[in-house]
Amino acid sequence: MSLRDVTGRLSIGKPTLSWEYWDEIKGTESFIFVATTVFVLLWSWLFARAPITSAVGGYQSLAVTVLIWGIFAIGFDLLLGQTGLLSFGHAVFWGGGAYAAGLFSYYVTGDPFLVVIAGIVFALVLAAVVGYIALRRHAVYFAILTLAIGQFVYFLAVSPLQEITGGYNGFIYVQVEPVAGFINLNQPLPGVLGTLWYDHLYLFVAVFFVFAVVLATRIVKSPYGLVFRSLRENEQRAAFIGINVWRYKFMAFILSAVFAGVAGSLYTIHTVFVSVESLYWLISGEVVIMTVLGGLGSVFGPILGAILYVYVRGVVDGFPIVGPYWFLILTTLFTVVVWAFPQGLWGIVGKIGQSLRGLTRRWNDS
Amino acid sequence: MSLLELDDVHSHYGPSHILRGVSLTVERGEVVTLLGRNGAGKTTTLRSIIGATPPEVSAGRIAFGGEDIVGNSPEDIVMNGIAIVPEERRVFGDFTVEENLRMPDISRQDWNTILRDMPVEDESGMNDEEIYELFPRLEERREQYAGTLSGGEQQMLSIARTLKLPNVDLLLMDEPTEGLAPQIVESVLDSIERIAETGTTILLVEQNSTAALKVADRCYILDDGSIVYQGSSEELVADDDVRLRYLAV
Repeated sequence: MSLRDVTGRLSIGKPTLSWEYWDEIKGTESFIFVATTVFVLLWSWLFARAPITSAVGGYQSLAVTVLIWGIFAIGFDLLLGQTGLLSFGHAVFWGGGAYAAGLFSYYVTGDPFLVVIAGIVFALVLAAVVGYIALRRHAVYFAILTLAIGQFVYFLAVSPLQEITGGYNGFIYVQVEPVAGFINLNQPLPGVLGTLWYDHLYLFVAVFFVFAVVLATRIVKSPYGLVFRSLRENEQRAAFIGINVWRYKFMAFILSAVFAGVAGSLYTIHTVFVSVESLYWLISGEVVIMTVLGGLGSVFGPILGAILYVYVRGVVDGFPIVGPYWFLILTTLFTVVVWAFPQGLWGIVGKIGQSLRGLTRRWNDS
Repeated sequence: MSLLELDDVHSHYGPSHILRGVSLTVERGEVVTLLGRNGAGKTTTLRSIIGATPPEVSAGRIAFGGEDIVGNSPEDIVMNGIAIVPEERRVFGDFTVEENLRMPDISRQDWNTILRDMPVEDESGMNDEEIYELFPRLEERREQYAGTLSGGEQQMLSIARTLKLPNVDLLLMDEPTEGLAPQIVESVLDSIERIAETGTTILLVEQNSTAALKVADRCYILDDGSIVYQGSSEELVADDDVRLRYLAV
């Protein structure tokens, strides 16, 4: 029996294997929920412990870092990819969320969920202020304003506020308590569960990751998503059909900041420390690179960007000989991908999908 | 009271003084055309009315339904009953025809629609059936990306989109026939006439005076930022001298 007989037999009476069925389900929220859940359930195992795939040098802590940066990048894409606004100051929401989470854990309570909520609330308030100022200006002036405000907050944290932030030493008193008083995040999981996910922390972060992907998909598919993309195309055209341009730009800004705040808080819980560098403009630059590298305007592209970026930064930098050149490798990769595929890594995935489609069609026709 | 009244309006693009005292009125139910050469200030006049910046309106009064609207934002002016079909058929090229037509429905929804499904259409503007009756071509192409439509179809879509807005009392149109083939121009004029029949007041800016005068009741000629002629369409059609001097036709 040839391969063709097998696929032929499988597709009889089972539309599940056709491209049409794939087109139908691929954009639905339930499919995205299931696919993302499957991804996170396998991710840390594949990256850090699976027999063949983990040979590239991934490790557990980095698997968690990838998910956290993924949340940041997904949110950032709502602003840059959907709405077309380039912010160079999103470190302020990542770092602000991280600090709010850290301080909250020390002074109030270390319950991880409440700590994340504290980070969200702070990022949201901060975004309302920063957005109110920066969104008054367009294009490059907006980018520079966000950069300037971000650096202002960084220097504020370094020196005048060092009593609170710890200055260059960072905030070292982060207290992470068990979730709901009894699920200790750092406690390794037993047996096969441990092989898959290692500890509770991974699952904790994974829950936020899945939620972030589903929420971003929902936003992109809601009327808001359509409005965001209309602003990207032409703000004035949108105003001419009665869209309140400022309000929607403000909402896009706040939404992306909330994702950044969640990610920053999770990073605090993950590292049990807040570095003042989390507010530095380099973080803002990194999230821009991840998002563009992965592919603007797609929910999944930025995740691919986060994976590649964090991998090169965290693993390739330890390789013999090439290690010290990791940033050179990354920027070369970035240049090549963006030059050859403006749609980023997600665009490459799309191209592969199309060729697969072409292949199967030709094969079915013959 | 006139529906729209411009009284000695001055507008600037930065340091350049474009409108130098434009006064005109549009009565409810009329089709009025504003003619003039390239650079006379026709588009600047429409942009001043709709509140788009630039230009800056530095002096004069623009009243809609008796109320001064200078300084209001475009989205406020649009929601209060003035719609504009901008020049060069500004549709959203990355959106399908259907999505383009949905945008006006979204614009009047509450801000908290973030997690909802796409809106059902509102009854206060034209509904989809009326739109597709007016522009059958658009119905055939609902799923197509607007950027891939022909020039004439994009113009139809641009007009259709404004008609979906609620309570459009006054429709501003900026050179809707520009760059279109003669028979397409005819069908655009035809749709303008049918819109006028529904009672919508229209201020039509055109370089193509022959086409505009076919559908307009009255006309103004703008030259170098001020009104130099006004009269009925019949009068201008009969007045070769004025047409030659200001419109070069």
